[in-house]
Amino acid sequence: MPPRLNLLNFTRSIPYRAKAQTQWLPCPVAQFAPTQARTYSDVKAPQEPPAADRSKRLDAQPLPHVSEEAAQMAEITGGEGPDLSQATPVEEVVKGDKEAEEKLPKIMQDQLKSKSSSAPKGSRSYSTSTTPIGGGSSAFDMGLMGFKSPPAAAAPTVPGLKFDMPALPLPKDGHVKHRYDPVVDQVTNLLMRHGRKSVAQRNMALILQQLRTAPVPTINPQRPLLPGAPPPSHLPLNPVLYLTLAIDSVAPLLRIRSQRGAAGGGVALQIPVPLGQRQRRRIAIQWILGSASKRRTNVSGKTAYAQRVASELIAVVEGRSAVWERRNAVHKLGVSARSNIVLPRKK
Amino acid sequence: MPPSTCLWTLTQRSPETAVRFLSKIHPQVVYFSTSQARYANPSPKKKTMTAAPKRGTKTLNTKKGRSAAQDTGKRPAPGDRKQARKRIVLTNDNALAVASLKDMDKADTTSETSQGQVLGIPEATVDALRAVEAFKTTQGWNLFRRPATLMRKETIELAKVMNEAEGQKRTLRRILSGERLSGKSTLLLQALSMAFVREWVVINLPEAQDIVNAHTEYAPLPDSQPTQYTQDTYMANLLGQILKANSSASNPFLAKTQVTANHTLPVALPANASLKQLIEVGIVSPEASWPVFLALWRELTQPGRPPIMLAIDGTAHVMKESDYLNAQVKPIHSFDLAIVRHFIDHLSGAKSLPNGGVVLAATSQSNAPKTPALDFSIEVAEARRVNPNNIPRWNPYKNIDPRVMEAFKDLHSPTAENGAGGVNAMDVIKVGGLSKDEARSIMEYYAESGMLRAKVDDGFVTEKWSLAGMGNIGELERASVRFRI
Repeated sequence: MPPRLNLLNFTRSIPYRAKAQTQWLPCPVAQFAPTQARTYSDVKAPQEPPAADRSKRLDAQPLPHVSEEAAQMAEITGGEGPDLSQATPVEEVVKGDKEAEEKLPKIMQDQLKSKSSSAPKGSRSYSTSTTPIGGGSSAFDMGLMGFKSPPAAAAPTVPGLKFDMPALPLPKDGHVKHRYDPVVDQVTNLLMRHGRKSVAQRNMALILQQLRTAPVPTINPQRPLLPGAPPPSHLPLNPVLYLTLAIDSVAPLLRIRSQRGAAGGGVALQIPVPLGQRQRRRIAIQWILGSASKRRTNVSGKTAYAQRVASELIAVVEGRSAVWERRNAVHKLGVSARSNIVLPRKK
Repeated sequence: MPPSTCLWTLTQRSPETAVRFLSKIHPQVVYFSTSQARYANPSPKKKTMTAAPKRGTKTLNTKKGRSAAQDTGKRPAPGDRKQARKRIVLTNDNALAVASLKDMDKADTTSETSQGQVLGIPEATVDALRAVEAFKTTQGWNLFRRPATLMRKETIELAKVMNEAEGQKRTLRRILSGERLSGKSTLLLQALSMAFVREWVVINLPEAQDIVNAHTEYAPLPDSQPTQYTQDTYMANLLGQILKANSSASNPFLAKTQVTANHTLPVALPANASLKQLIEVGIVSPEASWPVFLALWRELTQPGRPPIMLAIDGTAHVMKESDYLNAQVKPIHSFDLAIVRHFIDHLSGAKSLPNGGVVLAATSQSNAPKTPALDFSIEVAEARRVNPNNIPRWNPYKNIDPRVMEAFKDLHSPTAENGAGGVNAMDVIKVGGLSKDEARSIMEYYAESGMLRAKVDDGFVTEKWSLAGMGNIGELERASVRFRI
């Protein structure tokens, strides 16, 4: 009689698959690099010092004669040694030695200071622009388009699909909520008053049309645009790029946050805070729109406001706009207040 | 002796009679009273005591120190802003020149091979079109290097009509109808430019609204029954436009042709005058402009003269009563204005053009008053094309303008096809959407001009064609060129 309880078989089939054998991952073989340490065997037999000084300590050994030293230097540098008939200037002697430089006479210190700032006057030792993150291969999106369609990743033919699988990567404007250019979208929303988006969209279209029909801007070298910007003759044919360039060029890197009670004595402590890209653009757009609405209008009708904004944008690119002064003022304040930044302690 | 009026006697009387008596003897007597001070206006408060204005209220600040920050730049002169608004810009220096663009010539306007091509408008024709105000500010001419138009299906249809009118000396009348932004005014412009290329005489009434909105002076025309009204300033301006548009260097028709008939004009005409001199008389003396126009018209309809293109835009405005008033302070019907009467006579077929020609009336969908009679006529004509047995009926609850119905009886009457002027002398051209081939052609032109930054392939064309409501060309331009979301 068979046992009533079968311990070895299941009554039903259970979808159980044996655990696959753990995949063998090819580990890279540890590479043997030549070590930086030197062994005693590498040390060559020291030359015998002259009999006069046999001291073991290096600092106790006497200096060789000037001509010998010059000969040694000539051997090291592979050329001629220092000219023995002339003395070495003090500046050269103390170069790179901070302590010695501080003890120089004042005239020489002033000379050193004036020499040390090699950059032209008025330029800063730090960068006043940011590099966009994740902008692809080029630093600035030039709005150029590949006329070759992207190589369709060989999508495996999946049975049951009516149409082909979409080619990856998906296009930038493939999502319904992000189908328009982000800058154009943001400017449109900031142009909007009383929720009238259609009017804002019309104004946006008119602004871009103005940028397209206006003469080619002349760039002011004192007000450099973003690095990697296209030549100005390319701008009118690509008004979205024109707009983006104008906004990104004047966008401030930071804002000043006033922390009350932190400085004591009823004075607010000003703390510079870095901004994200969208925040920076927002501030720049608001500056531009503000100075556009202060402009005197020379036309009438529906296009008047759009024309003012467009001429302000052109003024920004040409470096004539007062928005640049605002940006510089914010940056200057940020530099002077940078000592107020309290960074979290590193653990 | 006591005085004759003794005050003591007053004490003997009652107070009321005493007052009456006193007022008799001393009329200006003043009594002590507190009511005057009580009911007097409150004395103005001292200025120093006024409280600060509430937040949000506007106050008049006339302090002199404030004016320093105000903008003291030069203001535009009166009229400059309007001129900037109305300016017609036909070129964009930033746009790329399209190498493959060729000019429209006479052969293109007579054959069908040019359908679907984008053709440039010749320079002389552009000047003439500018003179007759055929370009509108809302059209996108300022985006491209030079004016060019797409020869669409309706353009070719119109070209055939012009062929027939010129060959058989017929008077063909067409009404351009269609959706908003479908290109009716541009089709009218194409018709005018084809007429200029073919060396027709072109008379264009640029905007019907300007004739009837009572912005120009008017006067009753003597010996007219019923009374008609002339607009001298408008007519003088129109004569100037006619002269400027029809006297190009290559076609000096008006300067060469001499006046043949004997006209009775209020102003004397030099002997052996040319048509150009005749028109100049009307321009210089506006009071003679209407007789000069009639004389010019009689000259143009002499045998052996070129065909005539007579056109109007925004037709609906002249299909109702105008804003002018007659002597009885009743509105004048637009058909009683002399120039409108002249146009409507030719549009309705009451008068014909002996040398052949085309009468064109373009409707508008964005600026048009309600004209049920015109709408009904167009509706019937379009329905007849589809199915002659299924024609809409007149809605009796709508206000009918009998004069307009009478003018368009060749469109809506049961025997419309054989109305005045022969078979299909009057018809409607329905300006519809572009075909995909035409859409592709115009989009390639956009891309070559540098105004459209995209690869024009089948998928892109179909996408924009669909977004533009099945090829509505205005919407297509918005979607592809104008960044209008």
